[in-house]
Amino acid sequence: MSKSLWAAIFLLVGTIIHTQGAYAQTIGFADAIKILSSSCGEDIQKYCKTANIGNGRIQKCLAENEARISPRCKADYAGVYVSLQTRLAAQSVVSRICDRDARRLCSGTEPGKGHVLRCLLKAQPSVSADCNQAIDDAGYR
Amino acid sequence: MKLPHLFAASIIALPLTLAGAQAQTQLSRNEIVNSLQGAQSKAEINAADVRAQALQNIQQYPGDNATTSLPISAQLAKLRQFNVEITFDFDSDRIRPESYETIGVIADALHTPYLWGQVFFVVGHTDAKGKREYNLELSQRRANAVREALVTTFFVPSEQLEAIGLGEEQLRDPSNPDGAINRRVQLINVGF
Repeated sequence: MSKSLWAAIFLLVGTIIHTQGAYAQTIGFADAIKILSSSCGEDIQKYCKTANIGNGRIQKCLAENEARISPRCKADYAGVYVSLQTRLAAQSVVSRICDRDARRLCSGTEPGKGHVLRCLLKAQPSVSADCNQAIDDAGYR
Repeated sequence: MKLPHLFAASIIALPLTLAGAQAQTQLSRNEIVNSLQGAQSKAEINAADVRAQALQNIQQYPGDNATTSLPISAQLAKLRQFNVEITFDFDSDRIRPESYETIGVIADALHTPYLWGQVFFVVGHTDAKGKREYNLELSQRRANAVREALVTTFFVPSEQLEAIGLGEEQLRDPSNPDGAINRRVQLINVGF
């Protein structure tokens, strides 16, 4: 096979791995909601003048005004709420994914109040790749 | 004209005209975690008692401005805490979009294992402009709004947060009662 074909395959595989990695990644609550303020801040001030952020009121207001809000806001706002949910979901699976590591590395740690996760954070070099990835995705690092 | 009763940064005392534009201070999650973590045990402080003390301070010592601090102040001051700037609409508990990120950063901090299982007071303060009863009520509604956002939009467990409004009863700088330095939201770790 030619050198350039190998190079192409190498690139392709690299891209696939990279893309899968990116899929697994999550963003923090602050980074997610920042997109809402930057993409929709003006629309929120215009169309949701009395709505507060809690209890899904801004989301509901933007949905009701979808015909009027800016294209940028329209494109971004639903994704913001997906990102928040994704981060929450990533947090909810950590204890399951890290269960074996916790038993292996933190058996002497009193469970509850974040103690076990703090043990796993300290033990990072000995922790499995899956558990470390789960901790990263949860934003616990 | 009465200036807006905005909670503002205790750290950056900006003129109100700039408060909105400057709301996105580079607040970091770790800064909040480091300031709040390390509570040893449960502080025996009840949110309802703190609210009642603020109201009693107005009734017992009426007047334009508070002249005495709350009995609980010294105890609260000893706890792990952090001040943030959150901007609201004038005379309203509506959080302005420029402060969404700040609440998100607080949420990121509260979700880390370093702060799990601990209870936090979300305490709203105003400056001394306007009536004390009014400021007390407004700051309570604003603290409620911040708590609601943390619990619903950012999934912080509700049992970890108590909202308290102290109005102008606990000024950060009593020598400058109308100053922006007094307008703030305080997070106080009351422990496990």
